[in-house]
Amino acid sequence: MTTLTVNGEKRMVTASPDTPLLYVLRGELNVMTPRFGCGLAQCGACSVLADGEEIRSCVTPIAALEGKEVTSVDGLPARWARHNGLAPDPSRLHPVQQAWVDEQVPQCGICQFGMMIKVTELLEHNARPTDAEIKAALTTSGPSPHLCRCASYAAIMDGVHRAAQIMADGSAS
Amino acid sequence: MPGAAQVDTNPTDVTSIHGAALSRRGFIGAGGMLMVTLGLAPGLARAAAGAKLDATRPASWIEIHADSTITMRTGKCDFGQSSIYTAYRQVVAEELSVPVEAITTVISGDTDRTPDGGGTFALLQNAAGNMRKAAAYTREAVLELAAQRFGVPRGAVSVADGVISGGGKTARYGEIVAGADLHLAIPVTGRLGDIIGLAVAGNPPLKKVCDYTVIGKPVVNPILRPKVSGQTQWVGDVKLPGMLHARAIHPATLGSTLLSPGKLDQTQFPDAKLVQVGNLLAVVAPDEWQAVQAADAVAATTRWTAWNGLPTSDKLAEHLRGAVNWAEVPTTKSAAGKGDVTVAGAAKAHAAGYFMPYLKHAPIGPTVSLADVRRDGSVTVYTHSQNPQCLRTAIALMLGAGEDKVVIRTYPGPGHFGRSNGGNAGSEDEAVLLSRALGVPVRVQWMRHDDMAWSTQSSAMVSDIRIGLAADGSIRTYQATHSGPPMQDDRPIGALLAGLPTITAPDLDSKSPIYSPIMGVADQWVYGAVPNVLETGRGTLQIGQRESPLKVGLRDHSMRTPIQFQQNFPREVAISEAAMLAGCDALQFRIDHTTDPRVKAVLEHLRAESGWDTRSSPAPHASAAGDQVVRGRGVSMMLRDNGYWACAAHISVVPATGEVKVDRMTLVADPGIVINPLQLKRQAQAGCLMGISEALHEEVSFDSGAITSIDWSSYPILTMAEVPELKIVIAPFAGVEIYGQGSESANALAAPAIAGAFLDATGKPARRIPLRPKYVKAMLA
Repeated sequence: MTTLTVNGEKRMVTASPDTPLLYVLRGELNVMTPRFGCGLAQCGACSVLADGEEIRSCVTPIAALEGKEVTSVDGLPARWARHNGLAPDPSRLHPVQQAWVDEQVPQCGICQFGMMIKVTELLEHNARPTDAEIKAALTTSGPSPHLCRCASYAAIMDGVHRAAQIMADGSAS
Repeated sequence: MPGAAQVDTNPTDVTSIHGAALSRRGFIGAGGMLMVTLGLAPGLARAAAGAKLDATRPASWIEIHADSTITMRTGKCDFGQSSIYTAYRQVVAEELSVPVEAITTVISGDTDRTPDGGGTFALLQNAAGNMRKAAAYTREAVLELAAQRFGVPRGAVSVADGVISGGGKTARYGEIVAGADLHLAIPVTGRLGDIIGLAVAGNPPLKKVCDYTVIGKPVVNPILRPKVSGQTQWVGDVKLPGMLHARAIHPATLGSTLLSPGKLDQTQFPDAKLVQVGNLLAVVAPDEWQAVQAADAVAATTRWTAWNGLPTSDKLAEHLRGAVNWAEVPTTKSAAGKGDVTVAGAAKAHAAGYFMPYLKHAPIGPTVSLADVRRDGSVTVYTHSQNPQCLRTAIALMLGAGEDKVVIRTYPGPGHFGRSNGGNAGSEDEAVLLSRALGVPVRVQWMRHDDMAWSTQSSAMVSDIRIGLAADGSIRTYQATHSGPPMQDDRPIGALLAGLPTITAPDLDSKSPIYSPIMGVADQWVYGAVPNVLETGRGTLQIGQRESPLKVGLRDHSMRTPIQFQQNFPREVAISEAAMLAGCDALQFRIDHTTDPRVKAVLEHLRAESGWDTRSSPAPHASAAGDQVVRGRGVSMMLRDNGYWACAAHISVVPATGEVKVDRMTLVADPGIVINPLQLKRQAQAGCLMGISEALHEEVSFDSGAITSIDWSSYPILTMAEVPELKIVIAPFAGVEIYGQGSESANALAAPAIAGAFLDATGKPARRIPLRPKYVKAMLA
């Protein structure tokens, strides 16, 4: 048995400790937003936060995550509420998700779960990133670039700036 | 709707609505509905009757409910275009004159729940026209009923913003249909399992374009919020009780057959099973990770025959130029041909060969499907097909079963740009065969290497272009010969490996106009002022298909602007080269050679919007050597589906290293009627950036037997860091009353504009893509 903390909940899992987190999230825990893209840490579709740092769940064994807080896109709204002392509201999205809707960012959307995780990590460390900082975060800061085959990158750039604005407005109010 | 059928056989009364049959089956207590169904010509009845397993659920285009909400259905699916949730709703709402929000539900793709079939392509050009007509019939039927209700002539009834008025009375759509069981059977033509599907026939009165209030609005895509919040169930998320996870073990090459399956160690993988159907080999397990590991272990010891039937990607251009017998397949000529290209007396001549490599659709998620084959022979496939009805036909053919036994249910999945527009994306048939063999639902998830090595690809092309210039620098003769393998193989790979029946390959004896090795000229000619033009298409079989014992080889499939991209690139680069030879500005040179005011208008917009500096190429500081950055700009132009698109690229090149960087892209679109400017802009932006990816990075590599581009390092695509300044200008030509298409042209135009900029920056032509440093250095040498 391995104990994981996923989106604020303690979960006991029976999978062997060397099983990559992605298969445990999707198979055993029904946390479906991390996507299988390559299984090689080359694309970022499976990204989740582990204690606030982006990791690739397709290559990270669960043994490495005991005692760490794992957050997928499903858990972003509660994470935002907790960090900002907001009452739970099931209709409220995380600012990054809201920005992705406001700016109509996704095309097919399969990469966007990893994109939103990476952008959340970025904005938690850097509230007002420049274009160059956004490009660096999504290209060179992790094990590989975050890839979008639809090439929605221009919309992603708009989305990150919008999210930063929503966050600034949210913490000011 | 108890016992509703598609065609009303015993109506209480029938009214003709512009050729559609409106029938009232009586009154029902609560609810009430108008349902728009298929009116079938006698010969089509069987095909449509098989559209559903459950006879109590009629296939319906548009349903008006008593509360004035509307459900619409389409056999097309969404792959990131948003059109069926935005543009389609706008088209239907416009014809009905209701707010777009009234269309609360869009049912898409599922073969048992949608009426029309057809591939998810040319959405606005073809399929939106069907929805428009279906909605027009519906509006006319409801207004007829309203006239009866109001006791006024039909001509005294009108509708605006969802409110129907006449003789001083008003009612909403829902009030007119409330309490009644109404059916409107509209006339259709075509065949459900065809790649195009059914088309709505007849000529119901259409709303005037000048009266539009919904079309042209930036309607947001309603499926994005559930997607980004994690509420949407994607194809890979579907689970069924008792389901097994499968991993296929594909052959060592595109022509290898199975000698002996590897050993499955049951002590290490106690729950896994090995399944073999002909040359289709797979491992299944209840736990997905166990299936992955067991399949890897079995693959390592599985033995396949050797096969060396491919020319290798390094020698592909040479193979196409020297080894292919182009006389096997009849050649074609374009409709643009005129005059005599052999006329003598050219002052200057340009003659060059161009090459386009194989490209991958390369969805971020490899194909995944779940199939449930029951003991009674019924088959349900959960997948992400762009043409579910065609997939249904292919699955039934493979199984030797009736189409009525097969249902395809569709879910969101990764965009794959045409790969499944004739049915399969890759895993569906394997899931069906494994489920049939094991008697339980089976989910097949291809790994990254499966999706790269065993899916279809966009095929290669070589082109030879000769341009003769008159003494005044104008083009006197234009001659192009485009030669390449075909672009549409919809045979499912699992069926091929298992040796089961499939639809036809693009063979020499193929009678199909779609699955044919004949090469058409797809790039529409726009330089009408050129007096002598000859464009020829030369086709052949898919590379390696004939030589492969599996009849596989390099299977090809349309991608975005199939064939047109491969022919437009050489044309547009050659035109830029001819402009340089003539000492003319590349953009003005294009304007000077057109007679079409829309071509001229889009290029003039481009000149203004891109900050174009009018001058001849090469650029004043151009250089093909040295470690200093040189800069240039290039232009490209495409006419596709009545949409006129032009692109300007500004790039930097470091000759010594062969590095090419795109600094700025400007795109101007004249698509006719703009249905949704917001979604069009997003589609054009992304299409253009994907085009940069193809121009700079993409090429399928293969050795003598297998594809060797198997992951994102061996098939690199554009990253965020490379995104240039990007400007999209939507400039519809006044008075054009047709719906134009989305981002495909944006996608195709990047490469020739970048190549034109390369010519400007270095003075050397780029007659192939991708502009990887290795190739660039060779171009500059």
